[in-house]
Amino acid sequence: MSPLDFCTRIRLIAGTTFLEAVRQKFFNSLLLISIALVGSSTFFQQFDFGAGELKFITDFGFGALFFFGSILSITATTQLFFNEIENRTALTMLAKPVYKLEFLAGKFLGAQLLMFCFTLVITLVLSGILYWRESALLDRLGDEVSLDGPLIRYGDVFLFGFLQWLKFGILAAITLFVASFSNTNLYTIVVSFFVLVICQLQYIARDAYSGMEAGWERLLVFGLGLIFPNFQLFNIGDQLVFDVEKALPASTVLQITCYGLIYAVVFILLAQVNFRRREI
Amino acid sequence: MTTPAIRIQHLTKDFSVGIRGIKLRAVDDLCLEVGNNEIFGLLGPNGSGKSTTIKVILGLLEASTGSCEIYGKPSKQVAARRSVGFLPEAPYFYRYLTGHELVRYYARICMVPRSEIDRAVDSVIELVGMTEAAHRRVGTYSKGMLQRIGLAQSLVHDPQLVILDEPTAGVDPLGSAGIAEIVRELKRRGKTVLLSSHLLAQIEGLCDRVAILHRGKLVQEGRVDELVEAKDAESLVVEGLSPEGRAAVEATIEAQGGRLARVEKPRLSLDAYFLKEVQQRESEHAKKVRGGESL
Repeated sequence: MSPLDFCTRIRLIAGTTFLEAVRQKFFNSLLLISIALVGSSTFFQQFDFGAGELKFITDFGFGALFFFGSILSITATTQLFFNEIENRTALTMLAKPVYKLEFLAGKFLGAQLLMFCFTLVITLVLSGILYWRESALLDRLGDEVSLDGPLIRYGDVFLFGFLQWLKFGILAAITLFVASFSNTNLYTIVVSFFVLVICQLQYIARDAYSGMEAGWERLLVFGLGLIFPNFQLFNIGDQLVFDVEKALPASTVLQITCYGLIYAVVFILLAQVNFRRREI
Repeated sequence: MTTPAIRIQHLTKDFSVGIRGIKLRAVDDLCLEVGNNEIFGLLGPNGSGKSTTIKVILGLLEASTGSCEIYGKPSKQVAARRSVGFLPEAPYFYRYLTGHELVRYYARICMVPRSEIDRAVDSVIELVGMTEAAHRRVGTYSKGMLQRIGLAQSLVHDPQLVILDEPTAGVDPLGSAGIAEIVRELKRRGKTVLLSSHLLAQIEGLCDRVAILHRGKLVQEGRVDELVEAKDAESLVVEGLSPEGRAAVEATIEAQGGRLARVEKPRLSLDAYFLKEVQQRESEHAKKVRGGESL
């Protein structure tokens, strides 16, 4: 079988996975809630503890993107995987000349396509609100301030969205890995959220590692730091959007992208090892 | 010597159950061969190992011990499945696709060349009698229609071996007869069909050979006629015999050392009677509809 056949089948499986996903009420509800929350951020400024209005809206938007995106990535991937197993469409599919890796990769890409739509919509809404508030702010201040350029780098809002999308990709791959040996939806969701928390707090282990003396404890912490990806690497929104002086170098973005891709591929391959032994 | 469609040798499949990993044997030292252009029935009660055997044949499960080959290729190889079509029990498909889109989707998954897809899809949809409903969404289909469109997706890449897991389960007798007719048509086209069922009356008139499984073991295997015929008795079906003639026949039988075991009226099976009655009315209804259209 040629690599072209391999790609075609993955694309076909990803296509139906995506169509299944966008038909789920859960996705549409979560998308609407997220849009409403990001859209309403400008009305929550009484909770703004002294930070600038635009900064508040950005933090609020990025927070909503991360929070709802993580929920959607885990639950949608779990549901899309278990729907195929429980409805036995996986049985029909895998009885065809289809590799299990193709099936898993198709599921992963379908879920990632869904997350791409989600991230794009939220980022567009956030950019729209930021532009509206920035224009209003500049109109109000008039000639009181002299600026060399815009207050916000909008390209970086989308760059942040891209990095979050990569993070959702690692999360989806981890969820697929958990689902490959799990028997229930609930177990997969709970374990994946647990892993998400570990990955978010992984930097603590890294800090501890740097302060440790050589020994088995240092080795253990180092190993854990390697197994669980460091999600803090993807949270560089503030630096991206507002720090006009220090734009993020393209090489750093490329490094983070490679880091994300490596983890996603490794977790999908691990999922395939489990999935090969699984009874369908 | 031609390679058999399926060759199973000393197949055993164990499942680990529970945390302690207690072994549960689903298939026990099964040896089986399915020849080319044969309709082969895998029979047995629930839990006898039919579905597990089918899953091993399809490479969806790995055998604990033993081997399984499809046209000489190990069944766990993906390449072996190119010549196999499969209809699972109570199939479920993407509800938002139409029947035509669904069959087309599986044709593309099976890498049917683009230039042949339209012809292949239309041809199998016609074979299973779903041409009129092909542009309706799968979600609106009845159980019988789902089985038919399932059959179409299993045939779209023109496989040499077709495996049907309980193809008539939950389908009414008319639908079952339709599926049986498609199976016979597949045999006429030179295909090999392996089907599993516990609805024995439907299988009896359809299969060339059957294997009976019980608790994972092969109990019997052979041609249907050989397995079910009574070896020590024969029956005569006689029409228009007078009471005197019957007495004379009985006397002759006794004189020749035989014994008249019983005398009974030949019976149609309820299945056959039902089909005869319904099909007769269906054809009358169709004639009326055609007559109405021509007016």
